[in-house]
Order: sequence, then C-alpha cells, then structure tokens
Amino acid sequence: MKTRTGLAFLAPALILFGVFVLYPMLTAFSYAFFEWQGTSRQGFAGLSNFSALVNRAPFKTDLPTALLHNVLFFVGTMLVQNTIGLSVATLLHRRARTRRMLQTLYAMPYLVSPIVIGYLWTLLLSPTFGPVNQLLTKIGLEQFALPWLGDPKTALWVVILVSVWQWVGFPVLLYGAALGGVPEELTEAARVDGASHGQVFRKITFPLLIPAIGTVSVLTFIFAMEAFALPFAFGGSTGNPAGSTDFVSLLFYRSAFDSGAVDAIGTSSALATVLFLIIFGGAMAATKVLRRHERRMAS
Amino acid sequence: MTQRTRRSTFTLIAFTGVLAVAACAPSSDNDTKGSGDGGDAKATTLTVWSWRVEDEAAYNKIFDAYEAKHEGITVEFKPFKATEYNKVLATGLAGSDGPDVPQVRSYGQVEPTIASKSLVPLDGKVDLSGWDENVVNSAKSKADGKLYSVPLARQTVQMFYNKGLFEKNGISEAPKTWADFTAAGDKLLAGGVTPIAVGAKDDWTLPIVHEVLAAPRFGGAAFQEEVLTGKKSFTDPNFVASIDVFKQLAKYFPKNVTGVAVTDAQTLFSAEKAAMFPGGSFDMAVLKKANPKIDLGVFEVPAPTGSPEDKATTPGWADGNFAVNAKSPNQEAALELVKWMSTKEFGQMVADEVKQISAVPGVTYNDPLLKQMADNYEKSPSPYLLLTDFRYGTPSGTDLMGKGAQQLLLGSKTAEQVAADIDTGVKAWFKPSS
Repeated sequence: MKTRTGLAFLAPALILFGVFVLYPMLTAFSYAFFEWQGTSRQGFAGLSNFSALVNRAPFKTDLPTALLHNVLFFVGTMLVQNTIGLSVATLLHRRARTRRMLQTLYAMPYLVSPIVIGYLWTLLLSPTFGPVNQLLTKIGLEQFALPWLGDPKTALWVVILVSVWQWVGFPVLLYGAALGGVPEELTEAARVDGASHGQVFRKITFPLLIPAIGTVSVLTFIFAMEAFALPFAFGGSTGNPAGSTDFVSLLFYRSAFDSGAVDAIGTSSALATVLFLIIFGGAMAATKVLRRHERRMAS
Repeated sequence: MTQRTRRSTFTLIAFTGVLAVAACAPSSDNDTKGSGDGGDAKATTLTVWSWRVEDEAAYNKIFDAYEAKHEGITVEFKPFKATEYNKVLATGLAGSDGPDVPQVRSYGQVEPTIASKSLVPLDGKVDLSGWDENVVNSAKSKADGKLYSVPLARQTVQMFYNKGLFEKNGISEAPKTWADFTAAGDKLLAGGVTPIAVGAKDDWTLPIVHEVLAAPRFGGAAFQEEVLTGKKSFTDPNFVASIDVFKQLAKYFPKNVTGVAVTDAQTLFSAEKAAMFPGGSFDMAVLKKANPKIDLGVFEVPAPTGSPEDKATTPGWADGNFAVNAKSPNQEAALELVKWMSTKEFGQMVADEVKQISAVPGVTYNDPLLKQMADNYEKSPSPYLLLTDFRYGTPSGTDLMGKGAQQLLLGSKTAEQVAADIDTGVKAWFKPSS
C-alpha cells in the first residue's frame, strides 16, 4: 500500500517528465541514427551522421573552434565570475546592514533576458554611436576605444565578461548561503588562537566552502557548454565577426534550422547528442570528484 | 485515515488521467477546426501561412478581392514570427494541422520541405512561361527539376544614395564609370562624409554588399553558368578579384567596419553621415521611414576595372513563394488560389499593397524608386549567385562569403584564401552538373 501511494503521488511528475523531457530526448537521440529527407525519416544510418561531424564541412572546421569557445567561456567564467562572486559574498557576509539590499542589487541583471542584455551591450559598445567608446575618448583613453565586438581578439571576452556581469549575483547568493552555514565556533576558536582573517579564510572557511564551490563549478560548466542566448544576441547565429563568438549550440541552431541541407535533422541531432554527452559526462565526472572530496572531509 | 488516503489516491490517479488526455487533446481539436468546412463543397476555408506579420493588412485586402470573385471560398491569412516560421511550418506540414497554402522559402532553403514530400508538384498546373528564369528557379527543386511553388516577389540589390549629400560634395549625378565611382568616394571622404555605409558586423549583409559592388567583376550570369557546369570554380581569378574589391573600397567604409552593425550603417545613412548604402529593395521602406527628408536615389554600381564585361548589373532573386500542402483536404481550391497568384492581377496587388517588386512580369509600379529597381533588373539582371545556387547545403555560399569577407576586412585572410575557403566549403555538398 505504501509504495503504491508513493507511486500515485509521483505519477503526475513522472508522467510530465516522461512526456515532456524523457520522450523528446530519446527521440532526438534516435534521430541521429537515421538518414533524413527533410522531415521524412529514411533508413538506418548507423554512425554516419556522427562521422559527418568529424569529416564534413562545416562541422570539421567549425565544431573544434566552437567547442574551444565553450571551454574558454567555462574557464573565463570560472575564474572571473566565481572569484568575484566569492569575494563579494565574503565581504557581504561580514556586513550585517545592507547585505540583503546589495545581494538583490547584484542579482538584478540576472532578471533581465540575455537577449535584451546582449542587445543593450551591443548598443553601448558600438564603435559608431556607442557611449562606452565616446567616454573613453573624452577622458583621454583613445587607445582603449576599440571596436570591442568587431575584433575577434576582444569579441569573445566581451561576451564572457558581459555574461559574468549578468550572472555574478548567482554565485554571490550561493556562496552567501554556504558562508552562513560555516559554524561560528570554528572561526571563533581559530581567532582566539591568534589566527588572522586571511588564515581563518584559508584554513577554515575555504575548505568548508568546497562543496558549494563544486556545485557552482558544475552548474557553471553546464551553463557554459549550452551557452546560446547571449552569444546569439551578440553575434547572431554565425558567431560574428568571422566566427569568433561561435558556440556549439549556435552551430547546432544554424545547421538544424537555417540550412538548405536535406539531411539537416540527422546531422544536427548527432551534434545535439554529442553536446549532451559532453555536458552529461563532464557533470558526472565533476560530481564524482566532488563526492569523493566530501567523503574525505567527513571522515 | 485509510479511507482518506484511498480517496486522495483515487483523485490523484484521476487527475493524472486528465493530464494525459489533455496532453493529447490539442492536435485532435485543431483537426476538426482545420478541415471544418471541408465536407461542404460550397463553403471552403483555405488557410494561408506566412512569416510576413507586417503585411497582414495588405494580404487581407488582397484575399478579400479573391473571395469576392470566388463564391464560397474564404481565405484565412495567418502570419507567424519570421524567426520561428521555419520550425512552425515544418511541424505544421509534418502533422495534419498545416495550412492549405504555405508561404515557403526559395531556392535551396525550400529543398528540405520538398524532400519531406510536403508540397504538391505544380508542373502542368501553373503556367510560368515568360517569367525570369532566375525567379522560376526559386520555385523548382534541384533534386527532381519539378516546380513546387509560385514565386511572390523579386528582390533586387543596388546602391541607395543621398542625392542632397552628393550635390553638396560636388557630385552632380550617379557615377557611370568605376573611375567616377571612386572619385565620388574620394570627394565624399574629403567632405567628411562616410562614402559607403556598410555594416560588416552582420555577416549576412556582406554577400549582398559583394553583389552590389562587384557582381560584374566576376561576371554575373555568365559566371553562374560556368560555375554550375564545373567549367570554373570559385578560385577563378575573376572571382578572387571580385572579393578583393572589398579591400580596394574599404577606405570608403565606416571605421572599424567589422564592429558596425547593419542597423548602425542604416543609422549613419539616415542621419546623413554616410552618402551611400548598398542594400536590397526590401530596405527601401526602412530607409524612407528613418528619414523622409532624404532625397533618396538608387544606381547600379559601375563595373570595376578589369571586369570580363564592362556592364553594370542589378543582382536579384525571388522569395516569398506560395505552395500547396500535399496533405491539404482542399487541394483543388488551394491549387486554384495558387494559380491566381501567378496572374498579373495578383502581381499588381502585390506591387500596390505589399509594396514589393512582384515576380509576375509586366506589373507596373507607382513608386518611382521601386519602378527604377524593377526596370534595372529587367534591363540588366544578374543572379545573387551565392543565394540562388549555393544555399542547397551546409555550409552555404552566403555564410562562407560573409565570414570570409569579415576575415578579409580584418586582414586575417587574403582574397585568394577567402575564395579557396568558399570553394572547399561548397564542395562539401555541391556537384557541378556536367
């Protein structure tokens, strides 16, 4: 009786999950193994759609660059967003008065759609009318008035930094909560023993924050690997200029929806499957490392 | 307690059941709506899908005229957001809720829809004789050579210019030779005006700019023939030289051009900070609206020095085609409507109401600028080659040219390298016909 009641309570969620998540995912997965003529499915294709990702243009050339950009996006976000997030959270933790308000303020941009953010920053950074470059010129920093989004050397980093600007409130909130969970007895005891602020942070707070850092890293990894909206808003579906802001999901988008290839469904499904495996595998591996670390800490 | 548990279990199961039924319901619901009047021969409702939300009023007017002449037929025009239309249409045509008459893409981009066997072949049913060949090709499948739609509009690309700014800088008329053209650029530069407003941050505009500035340099229609039959490839010296025109004219473009979006370029033009804008006939409405005070003109850019034939051209293509859904329950009525779309009566209404250059030959235009663009195309047409023939696979010719031209303008690749990239890129799927 008990299990049956339990199942009955689970049923609505399970059915919704099955119909709207599991079923579409499995069908997309199966699409990658067939030949396609437009939307009509032909014979079994084996792995040929997957080998096209390695052997055929544009995937042969675009997929490695796009994947590299995803990885850079992850590394950049990890370094900048999480460092800033952790510092801000630590500073806010010591501050009782305006903490709530500041946390909300940091999280504000996060409430705006990435498409809107991208559009706004495109206007701000425009080399012809953008206020950013006008300001830089006025205060005598002409050498920094660059075509930010027009130069492949800077465009990707603009995308990363704007993403950091938008999402920094997220690690602030998570680290804030984790810092609240660090037992005060420990830090107090250390302080009594004569440890400095820095020592307390390095020896006590930071190790206790590792599970939170791990969670944030896994979420950042997933976020960076499936980045779409912001790069799309900045560089369109082709990663302008000259493919310098191209990402795997953009490559998927243009090969699935913008192409004249009759086998688009097959190759793009293969690409989606590969992307899923990368994200799933990466997240699983990271979680495993994290668990092991937690267990070591507990013992 | 147990009774209560049992009751709530039952309620839950019932609720889940309702959910499951609800999940299946919408499609069957739409089914009845879609073919609602199908049984009655006298009253038929034809649905037309389109991505032109902005033209809804114009199409309603056009279809009112059709309804007045065809008793018992109601045409329902249903536009969708342009960016989502491809997905909406693919789903609609694959299922049973699709339109009777869908607006479909042209050239290579309609090929997946045709391959899905979603459209009715129109050979022998619709007569397009006397139409421009490039236009008709937009409606044909390269795979089987059959006709699958009726083209709606011709788009032409050419140079828009600000007549007032030209005069102010001592240029009395639109340039007739390449030397005139570059001299005009120099005069405008000296006058502190950006000569040509190009938005190279948006790669899709660059193949258009390439056609406007350099179509004669690679040989236009003659080159189309040679490249399609495999006599020449994109590494041909004339094609390479046509790409190099970007480099030669780069000094006339806005500074940091790869950072300038196409909207910025249009703003430069409408704020009278730039004197020329290479664009499509579809840009005319936007340019006129942005600054109605500008005395707007168009001209064909003269053939660059060294062109195989010293003759300016107006590159163009067709789009907005209408087809018949193979699953439509009202195929006969739908075919009748599509047939009407190939008549001069419909074409004239497209020109007057939708304000586009109709695909139907012999239509007249009230707008002098539209008339000039249509006449130019009539006189000296050339295909927008990378769109009309090189969008039948990935990577598309236009994508390759967009990226390549950006690399050229950034200085990271030479014209030869860009041409070689286009050549290897399209060879991933393109096979010459001979």
